[in-house]
Amino acid sequence: MTDQPHRATLASAVVYKDPDAALDWLEKAFGFERSMVITDADGNLSHAEMTVGECYLMVGAEWAGHVASPASVGGKNTQSVHVHLDTDLDAHCERARAAGAEVVRQPEDQFYGDRVYAVKDPEGHVWTFAQTVRQVSREQAEKASGLKIEGWI
Amino acid sequence: MTSSVIVALRVGATPARAFDVFTSEIGAWWQPNMLFPFSRREPGTLAFEPGPDGRLVETYANGDTFEIGRITAWQPGDRLAFTWHQDTFEPGQSTLVDVRFEAVGEETRVTVSHSGWDSIPQEHAARHTMDDAVFLRRHGEWWQALLRGLRARLS
Repeated sequence: MTDQPHRATLASAVVYKDPDAALDWLEKAFGFERSMVITDADGNLSHAEMTVGECYLMVGAEWAGHVASPASVGGKNTQSVHVHLDTDLDAHCERARAAGAEVVRQPEDQFYGDRVYAVKDPEGHVWTFAQTVRQVSREQAEKASGLKIEGWI
Repeated sequence: MTSSVIVALRVGATPARAFDVFTSEIGAWWQPNMLFPFSRREPGTLAFEPGPDGRLVETYANGDTFEIGRITAWQPGDRLAFTWHQDTFEPGQSTLVDVRFEAVGEETRVTVSHSGWDSIPQEHAARHTMDDAVFLRRHGEWWQALLRGLRARLS
């Protein structure tokens, strides 16, 4: 085939007890779109991908002993997905809240120039969303935070 | 018909134009898959015979044709559905492709749902001894490539 798939270098696979419900919820709350959903002959979700900007996200069940939804492990997250938006961060937060997300950090400007909010989804995954709202130099960020910063972009 | 492959992407066109190019220009954007041919012949050119009673047909270099399937839903700008067979399928072995065209802002989200693979037994030659999940995923990847071809055709 001449048209090879364009694949982002990094993607995350997020685990749910009820991945079918998660696909609906992620679409409603965050605006992610299903790009591939494969259901096996028993009606179980076999593989699912959602499009998020130029990237993709895999959504799956607790298919093996080494994966678990936060809902199965007392709400603990061992990783968190961070999504960078171009526009409308506050409206995005309101949409997530309206869909039932628990806002754990309200939208707030950060010293490094991004505005950020964080929410928990129905199974306890914490998602952070950010939008760059002003350009900040390394010197300004060091002054504002009192931190020594290396590798500033 | 439980098992299914659903693939979606956005194209830069109205639902009406996306439907039109999907159906009337399939010969231009379709890419055959060497692992999943409709017949054992050199792949030909696909064309819809349009309309609610139409068909999807592959035409070979010498003019012979193979009916891939019959149109089961023809709703321009909204929905297209058709059956899909390979020439090795026995009676009762059939799959169904259902395509939706939804406006999203100035774009159109094209969603293909290909179901009915559970009517094809695991030992059928069409499955190439692949595990079911792998077989379905290969079809999903093919549909993704096909829809990218449609998107390129529309841009």
